[in-house]
Amino acid sequence: MMKRKHVKIIQQVLFYLAVLLLVAVVLVPYLWMFSSSFKSTLEIQGMEPRWIPHNFTIENYRLVNEIVPIFDYFKNSLIISFGTMIGTIILATFAAYAISRFRFRGRNFYTVTLFSTQMLPGILFLIPYFVMFIWVQRTFGLQMRNTYHGMIFTYISFSLPFAILMLRNYLDSIPQEIDEQAMIDGCSRVRALFRIILPLAKPGIAAVGIYSFIMAWNEILFATILTGTQTKTVALGLLQYIGAQQSRWGSMMAACILTTIPILILFTTMQKHIVEGLVSGATKG
Amino acid sequence: MVKICPMSIIRYSCRFAGLNYRKVNRALVRSICLWNGCHRDENNRGGELNVNTVREKLSHMVMKRGSKKMSKRFTPYMLILPAVLGMLFVHFIPMLWGFIISFMDLNIYTVMDWIKAPFIGLSNYVEGFSSVTTLGQRFFRSIFNVAYYSAFTITLGYFIGLGAALLLNKKFVGRTLVRGLILLPYITPDSVAYNLWRFIFQARIGILNKVLLDVGLISDQVIWLVGNKTIYAVIVASVWKGWPFTALILLAGLQSIDPELYQAAKIDGANAWQRFKYITLPHLRPVTRTLIVLNILWNFNAYNQFAVMLGTDPGKYAEVPSTLIMRQAFHHLEYGIGAALSIVLMLIMLLITIGYFYYFRIRAERKGE
Repeated sequence: MMKRKHVKIIQQVLFYLAVLLLVAVVLVPYLWMFSSSFKSTLEIQGMEPRWIPHNFTIENYRLVNEIVPIFDYFKNSLIISFGTMIGTIILATFAAYAISRFRFRGRNFYTVTLFSTQMLPGILFLIPYFVMFIWVQRTFGLQMRNTYHGMIFTYISFSLPFAILMLRNYLDSIPQEIDEQAMIDGCSRVRALFRIILPLAKPGIAAVGIYSFIMAWNEILFATILTGTQTKTVALGLLQYIGAQQSRWGSMMAACILTTIPILILFTTMQKHIVEGLVSGATKG
Repeated sequence: MVKICPMSIIRYSCRFAGLNYRKVNRALVRSICLWNGCHRDENNRGGELNVNTVREKLSHMVMKRGSKKMSKRFTPYMLILPAVLGMLFVHFIPMLWGFIISFMDLNIYTVMDWIKAPFIGLSNYVEGFSSVTTLGQRFFRSIFNVAYYSAFTITLGYFIGLGAALLLNKKFVGRTLVRGLILLPYITPDSVAYNLWRFIFQARIGILNKVLLDVGLISDQVIWLVGNKTIYAVIVASVWKGWPFTALILLAGLQSIDPELYQAAKIDGANAWQRFKYITLPHLRPVTRTLIVLNILWNFNAYNQFAVMLGTDPGKYAEVPSTLIMRQAFHHLEYGIGAALSIVLMLIMLLITIGYFYYFRIRAERKGE
């Protein structure tokens, strides 16, 4: 009897140790980021690396905008990400509603296309897309490179396939009888959509919006080529702290923390729905 | 909805185009009659079509359809149209365009007027995909590198993810918190995560060398981010960033398994390993397959981790197709070759995916027999 109890206790201890290890693997890099953001450049460059700063300083946060105009990049990222979010929500809602509620010719084909576009490499589109931007500018005089609308358009189209699929799954979970009932009661289809379905689908729509916001906030590949000095996003701006002349690791870590905070807040508020969307996107595909 | 009789539309368009309305109308009605299986009027001996009756019927039919049914049939298309257009301009047209460009000598001089760029046939492909040219050799090397990197990243990420999913599937205090916490690396922006790892891997000022020195695993500072160890640094960072997604999906797979199965197996005397092998693994197989395909595709396209940690030129040991193509197109400004290489990359990935699915289908069929 005693022996079995011992085994059980040991099992429990091992189990919790494993969980602890898992959490440590996740958190230790963040710890390093956090502690380094409070170290002076002198300490980072001149002394042995330490987990706890010798001299606690908030200089990095004070001077975060000094070498790199990171606040401008923040503004650019915010404009582009919000634009993407709003555009994606509107277009994805319409398309997802169509796929979820109508049976029309080409519906399955369209859904499969949505899945398959997610599989293609971004680099495949980038070069012709770049040439296309130049061509549009030369023939129509409409500047697309290094503009907010160019980036927003690009990112909306990027986030659309996944957003539509995610929202379709959400709308499918709202029973179809609800809008049929509303239409019997004299609602037109448009009214039924805006008055009844959209309020019910609010969490799903919010999740889609946040997904597209995060996507636009994090994207690197297209931003490298298509943004310039006026529209550089924060993801690219972070790289500028390390130059040939000087390496401001402390400021960079401070900027990294500032960049992550908005994403963290947005994700935590909608965690459940985004996670559900991710899971169903991968398992139903 | 404004109701416009289609006949009046025809009349107006005829007047506009200067055609004889009656002739047009008669031809139209005749063709529609033939289409509908020919309504012949018995009273009309000559076999002439009774234009008036048919026209009446037709206009009635079209009126009915045109106003209500037609609009209803078009609604879904109108709803998906904006999304389709967006994707057309960002995905499909560039893809076609890329295909055309890959046959052109498109460089910094010709890019301003791409239509006038000379067609050079397959020579972009020949230069990028041969074992003689420097570029070709680099491209082969980059494909080898990315395969090596993917194999490591996917295997490590999968096993860590599986372990984590099994742990988190058990009930314990603070489980929800831990489940939320492990998603942190996944949601951290790529740029932030890889910059952080770049800092950790610094030879002199990074924490990793310090920890390894303290533990005694190494006796000298290792230079991680230059030379032949670079790819391992990127692998570590990518695994750290990627495993939470695997764990999340596998956890969802685990939760869909009926707990009664385990109870029944327990009663039958199966031990923990047997339960894992005969219940858990088979149930996770479909999810695993999707996960691996997704991971292959993502890792073969990997650009962010290499560009952030190692810069635009990661060096021979960690060059991957994406970085090579980016450099070829936007540093050497040879867009044609870049496009050709990216199409080759896509074809390779397509082959891998098809081969993978084919392999599993054959295996499944064999098992089914």
